[in-house]
Amino acid sequence: MGDYPDPDEEYELMYADDLDLLREMDDENDTNPVRKNANPAKRSLDFSSPVPAKSLAEKRNNAENNENLNNSLTFSQSVQPLGDILTQESVINAEESTVTSVNTSNKRTAEDLFGDINDIDFDNLELPSKRQKTDEENDMDLINKIIEGRKIRQMLEEPSSKGYIDKKVSFNYKDNLTRIIPRWPFIPFTKWDGDRVYVRLESEESWEDSLDSVTEKLTFQNSYAATWEEARKILAAKNEQKETNVSNEPEQETENDDAMSDLWVERYRPKSYIDLLSEEPVNRALLHWLHLWDKVVFKKDFKTKEPQHRNTFSKRTGQFQLSNTWKGKKEDEPEIDEDGRPHHKVALLCGPPGAGKTTLAHLLARLAGYRPVELNASDERSTEAFQTALQSATLMRSVLDADRRPNCLILDEIDGAPIQTVELLVKWCTATAGKKEDGKKKGKSQPLKRPVIAICNDLYATSLRPLRPVSLIVTVGSISTVRLQARLSLVAKCEKLRIPPRVLMAVAARALGDIRAGLHVLSFFKAKAKAQMDINDIMENTSIGIKDNAKSMMQALQAIFTVNDADPNAILKTIQAAGEYDRLVDGIFENYLTVRSDSRLLIASETMSWLRLYDTINSWTLRQQNYSLYSMLPICIARCHRLLATRQPVKLRFPMQAQEMYRRKTELDSTVWSVWRGSAASVATTRSALRLDILPLLPYLLSPVLRSANVQLCSESERKSLGACAGAMCDYGLQYVQQRTPEGLYAFVLEPDVYKIAFFGNEERARPPPAVRQAIAREQQLEVIRRNDEMMSRMSSRSKSSSQAPKSKPTSNSPAVEEKEMRIPNHLQRLQPKVLQKSVPQVQKDFFGRVVPIAQVQKQDAVSDVISSSSVFYQYREGFNNAVRRNVRMRDLL
Amino acid sequence: MSLWVDKHRPKDLMKLDYHKDQATRLKSLVQQSDFPHLLVYGPSGAGKKTRIMCLLRELYGSGAERLRQETMHFTTPSNKKIEIMTVSSNYHIEVNPTDVGIHDRVVIMDLVKNVAQTHQIDSSGQREFKVVILNEVDDLTKDAQHALRRTMEKYVTTCRLILIANSISRVIPAIRSRCLTIRVPAPTEAEITNVLQSVCKKEGLNLPTDLGMRIAKCSDRNLRRALLMCEACKAQQYPFTSDQKVPEPDWQTFIRTTAAMILSEQSPKKLGEVRQKLYELIIHGVPPDMIFAGLLKELVQNCDMVMKCQVASYAAEYEHRMRLGNKAIFHIEAFVAKFMAIYKKYVEESLM
Repeated sequence: MGDYPDPDEEYELMYADDLDLLREMDDENDTNPVRKNANPAKRSLDFSSPVPAKSLAEKRNNAENNENLNNSLTFSQSVQPLGDILTQESVINAEESTVTSVNTSNKRTAEDLFGDINDIDFDNLELPSKRQKTDEENDMDLINKIIEGRKIRQMLEEPSSKGYIDKKVSFNYKDNLTRIIPRWPFIPFTKWDGDRVYVRLESEESWEDSLDSVTEKLTFQNSYAATWEEARKILAAKNEQKETNVSNEPEQETENDDAMSDLWVERYRPKSYIDLLSEEPVNRALLHWLHLWDKVVFKKDFKTKEPQHRNTFSKRTGQFQLSNTWKGKKEDEPEIDEDGRPHHKVALLCGPPGAGKTTLAHLLARLAGYRPVELNASDERSTEAFQTALQSATLMRSVLDADRRPNCLILDEIDGAPIQTVELLVKWCTATAGKKEDGKKKGKSQPLKRPVIAICNDLYATSLRPLRPVSLIVTVGSISTVRLQARLSLVAKCEKLRIPPRVLMAVAARALGDIRAGLHVLSFFKAKAKAQMDINDIMENTSIGIKDNAKSMMQALQAIFTVNDADPNAILKTIQAAGEYDRLVDGIFENYLTVRSDSRLLIASETMSWLRLYDTINSWTLRQQNYSLYSMLPICIARCHRLLATRQPVKLRFPMQAQEMYRRKTELDSTVWSVWRGSAASVATTRSALRLDILPLLPYLLSPVLRSANVQLCSESERKSLGACAGAMCDYGLQYVQQRTPEGLYAFVLEPDVYKIAFFGNEERARPPPAVRQAIAREQQLEVIRRNDEMMSRMSSRSKSSSQAPKSKPTSNSPAVEEKEMRIPNHLQRLQPKVLQKSVPQVQKDFFGRVVPIAQVQKQDAVSDVISSSSVFYQYREGFNNAVRRNVRMRDLL
Repeated sequence: MSLWVDKHRPKDLMKLDYHKDQATRLKSLVQQSDFPHLLVYGPSGAGKKTRIMCLLRELYGSGAERLRQETMHFTTPSNKKIEIMTVSSNYHIEVNPTDVGIHDRVVIMDLVKNVAQTHQIDSSGQREFKVVILNEVDDLTKDAQHALRRTMEKYVTTCRLILIANSISRVIPAIRSRCLTIRVPAPTEAEITNVLQSVCKKEGLNLPTDLGMRIAKCSDRNLRRALLMCEACKAQQYPFTSDQKVPEPDWQTFIRTTAAMILSEQSPKKLGEVRQKLYELIIHGVPPDMIFAGLLKELVQNCDMVMKCQVASYAAEYEHRMRLGNKAIFHIEAFVAKFMAIYKKYVEESLM
């Protein structure tokens, strides 16, 4: 006996799964077990059955099979008419004592009765198994046999009973059993009470066939596949049931949600300090700062607690407050000023959106015993409104009485506030400190006595510039993915949302440290779950939950120049998110030479080829207004990334060159333009000719070689060259203008400055010396007068009838006037009087004695008709001169 | 008009210094009654404008020389106010439509219509048409060129167009076929020398032949530049010596030094320095194609024949791409980088 159980158990272990499956299959299908069960019954009648002739092993296998089948049968039956069997058993027990002659009951009563049983099938079946089984098993078997036997008995007694039908469905018992003498071959059985039953006698072949058909159905693969199908169906059904249960639950809840109608962000806002997601040192830094106010606000000393507190956090905050170097330096300085207020009057919380800054501020303010008063972008933030809010929040006492708590002003989204508002805040903080003594004396101004927490996203916004130096800067970093995931799973649990951790992880990763974004995605999931959507499907849809994280241009540029091993394809998205392709390309262009060692310039050539392609596509797009190729632009940039990305950190410069160059170009262009506009009609050429030929060579002509002496003493040739120079300047509308230098001296400056166009950075040495400039300037003014005079004479000769004023001497310094004079002679009439007044002192200075007669002459003429005929009018008020009257023309004076 | 370029500009067709047979043809053209539209083209400094002014004088007498500058105002369909400078006499108006950039079409349509619709004041003794001179026609946008071709036919009775271009390759064929094209080739160096000599004579100066030749060589067959250089020489040093320094436009020198930099060392660092130089050139308004040409001219002098072809073909390709694009600096630097790569490889191979 000892040898046997092991292989048997082994067998059972090996096929445990299959057996289970078989059982399950039986559960489902009543017909099969019936059929199986019928076999032994059948066989029992079959004396010529081949089973006994088989080898022992075969027998055993068979037996085991049968036994298994029997076992399964018991199971199946135990499922269905369990109560029935129990009652039957009790009946059997009762019968045991009374009934003896019934073979079935005999079997059931005791083991020793087995020999008496004339039912051969039992012997056949039981013999091998009996040898192997333990007592318990034997008992079980026995029970089984009893039940089976009972069934058979039932069947024999009442062939039409349900159990019998069950077993013989496929056999069509009516064909095989009958009480009347059938026409087919039979074996008669006589019961104890004399009833006779005729059982069909089948031929050997037909029996074999039937066996085959059964085994066919029972072959392992077949049964297995079928069972597997069944099993899956069952599981699916179970899951479905569960899910419907689950989905029923939240439905009710979501309805509740709607009733509550608040965002999850609100609902799951941290309620206590330990709930905070932000970094511990950050929390503590802010809390410590809030506690520093205790002395002023609550009139209690905080000093005792401070040192240890400070030691613990100042070490750590050192790295979090690097931005505030001022504070870092003055670590030893008391954090509290003489007024008992903290050194920094304002705490400036900065960090990316969704990091929990507002929550942090509110919670800590509450924790420190304040009533948070929030002022955010939705409120009006004009200077007046802000001032009222500031005063009411920081000065009002009535609120304190009402609430029993002092206010703590929280200025949310301060980076969006106008700069005046921020300046006001700064003034409020600093001025009160300065005016403190005045305030005490006059009792007028009250220093800031309540903490103010300002919150911003962009610390370096221009409007915050005045605030930064006076405030304690606390940088709230974005939440790490792990913490975010933990919090999300917590929320999901609270919402009874079944989300696999994998999905939560993905949500957290996609939220990029933004708890708000993460919660919104979860909330979205829940809404979708109501609409019977599969969360997994949602997660596979990559666009859901991805934060549209606009990268700044510099970040994108940095990404282009660094190798990204984690996700090589992310670069395209980064570029697209950054947008400003032109700037990016400029950035690449300015930095590509330095990032990689490229002695053969192959990378440079390749990069440039992509940049050229970019330029071509871009300008084609702009020119044609056809944006079909626009999506190629980021690809060009991404290709540059392939070429240029390195693992070493590179220091990138912000692309300024292109803009700077553009600025300088427009500057020079405008110079060329003004020369072109100013040049006389007779020498007008195209601008390109002006730019390329005339202007580059003009400076050589404008700097004649002169001795530094009075012009009157110059040689003839020098005068000639000076004249040529002045003539050229007149032609091209150039002139020397006196300008005050920073040193207070007056210097002649060429206007417009053609030297800048002509030379590449070395124009200064080509400029003529100041003395020469002065000479040229004078000569040029004379030349202008000469020309105008000439033009005037020509004009007067042409139209004498029109009483046009004789052209005189305009030496105005403004180029506009001059240009007009040269271009449009009609304008001269109106402009002359002003010009002339200027020229008078010059004339007086040079020829002092001769001025008077002119004036005299003019005066006498003027009385009659000079005033009406000419706009030139000299009036000499007093004195008497009887010098010779004579007409003097301007050209005589020059 | 004190610069020699302006002072000694010939006023009469028969007094032109070179292309005399062309001048004769133009003169006979004027004498005929049917004066066609003209498309005068040729390199810068060849004397296109001089010939046109002579032609106008031939047509209208000296009244065409009384020039005045005016600013005209136009309104684009998009209600943008633009203004443009015109140089005009009683008989003609000269305008440079490219000054207003992409709005040149409006200028052409309005201006030509304006001029064409007003008849000559005294039509008795004068020609019955006015002349509109359009500068830099090859830089006109396609729209403007198309606008031009219709107006040319429509107002042909009252107005003739004289178009000036550097090259007709960018003038649409429709316009080319409507005009009599007159090519004004650049003067040869000998012709330039002759002109310089005659001008110096008029000025009462004595120009050594050698110096004249050198100036002519330096001037790139650009007579305007040659005259200016000659005058600059005179301003620097007189009496002339045959070995005196000829002042050149600084941008030419600059391109040469840039080319020398490229040849001196081929490395990314040097390329960065070259870029600054290129930027300078662009800022000073040197057209990018001239930078290309100048660089190529200098660079190929240090190349063997195979490389010359290669470099030239690259230059052509890159310059073509540059015309398609907007950012000239990209294309020029790409060319420089390419040249550096080729040249470095060549040098390394020859060393081995």
